[in-house]
Amino acid sequence: VRLTVDGASCMGHGRCYAMAPDLLSYDDEGYVTIRDGSIDVPAGQVEAAQDAAGTCPEQAITLTG
Amino acid sequence: MTSTAGERQAIQGCPVIHQDFAPPQAAGCHWAMADELREASPVFFNTFAQGYWVFTRHEAVRDIYKTPELFSSESITPWQPDPIYRFVPTQIDAPDHIKYRRIVNPWFSPRAIEAAEPRMRELCRRLVEDVAPQGECDVVVEFALRFPTEAFLSVIGIDPSDADLFVPWVEDFFRGFGGDSDGLEAMAKALDGIREYWVAAIAERREDAVPREGDLASHLLHARFDDRPLTDAELLDMLTVLVLAGLDTTRATLGYLFRHLATHPEHRRRLVAEPELIPAVVEEALRYYTIVFGDGRKVTRDAEFHGVQLKRGDMVYALVSGANRDPRAYERADEFVLDRRRNQHMGFANGPHRCLGAHLARRELQLAVQEWLRVIPDFSIDGSAELSERGGGAMMTLTSLPLRWEVAS
Repeated sequence: VRLTVDGASCMGHGRCYAMAPDLLSYDDEGYVTIRDGSIDVPAGQVEAAQDAAGTCPEQAITLTG
Repeated sequence: MTSTAGERQAIQGCPVIHQDFAPPQAAGCHWAMADELREASPVFFNTFAQGYWVFTRHEAVRDIYKTPELFSSESITPWQPDPIYRFVPTQIDAPDHIKYRRIVNPWFSPRAIEAAEPRMRELCRRLVEDVAPQGECDVVVEFALRFPTEAFLSVIGIDPSDADLFVPWVEDFFRGFGGDSDGLEAMAKALDGIREYWVAAIAERREDAVPREGDLASHLLHARFDDRPLTDAELLDMLTVLVLAGLDTTRATLGYLFRHLATHPEHRRRLVAEPELIPAVVEEALRYYTIVFGDGRKVTRDAEFHGVQLKRGDMVYALVSGANRDPRAYERADEFVLDRRRNQHMGFANGPHRCLGAHLARRELQLAVQEWLRVIPDFSIDGSAELSERGGGAMMTLTSLPLRWEVAS
């Protein structure tokens, strides 16, 4: 599973890294560090990734694969 | 010839209401009204004041927030399309808005709040331990404003004891939304007090060669907007807005959350047993007890939007309190679900104007519930008087919440 953040949509609510603290982290302004990028989700983190995507108020996170 | 918004809505067949949303009501009435409007129609035209559109459902409210190029923040009060005042950065649009936000974002980032947490917890613990032996208190008056004020001041590098000044100012300012002449006079005086405080704070810091560590006012004096320093007017405005936006809002949410816990002992007991649920409960309170009745925006160009033809200069009201309880967007939308997962609420707004203080507010709300329940696990509402709430002209808040509990001997 690949997690992608749409940088134009991310507004730094911080819900994703609260839901998936072992997968995602924040920068100095409170945006997710992979604000305009994507990462492979390790097998053990898929549910946390789904929580992060499903909690984002801006629907900025998509999961593929 | 241009038609007025009122004439056009008749053509479009949109239902019409005539409703002043600002007066105070019995506690909870604003959400009942938002629910009723949302289920009756996705959009209304409200002929109150100059007239404005009211969008009631989740999808349209989200789209308003996410389309700032069509919906300007120049006015955020739908019945005041041409405010005499523009708060910075609240009422500033792109491209300048993000430049102001980048100056202040780091002060309210998760990293900053994480660093401040031990201090905030200590402040909270002291306030709860002060009140606990009384066996009763009006939590809205004695705790729910005092704690966020002290916490905020400590985060921006001001002595928390200056809450003695800020608490009465904030009380008087927001009481002024009641609209009577005494209230308006006190409101103006309170605003003067806040501004004079910052004028003095800025003057005291102006000659510093380098910014003071952990001191927001000092940091703003050294900040750059493009290639210039901030003007005194901008500095004063930004500091004042933080006070007006950050303190009363947290008090309001705490009031409804404490009322919920006082009247739902099963929820209270579960939180005492499982404190790890507190962050989820805070999110659910932000959804279910959204204190922003609606958010206004001003239309920048003629456009069709969710079935109505908007004209440049029209005002729209995004009914965020209704949207956060929209069954089209949430399962069991009309229930307070203690352990709700994947809660996408818009309690801090969406889009570029997302609440600057969201990370601070969340942490304050979590700390308040943790520390209160640790010392006072059982409490109820004292007396049977009907609780009332301030109207939707500012943020809704309980005006009073008397609680009582047993004091261990």
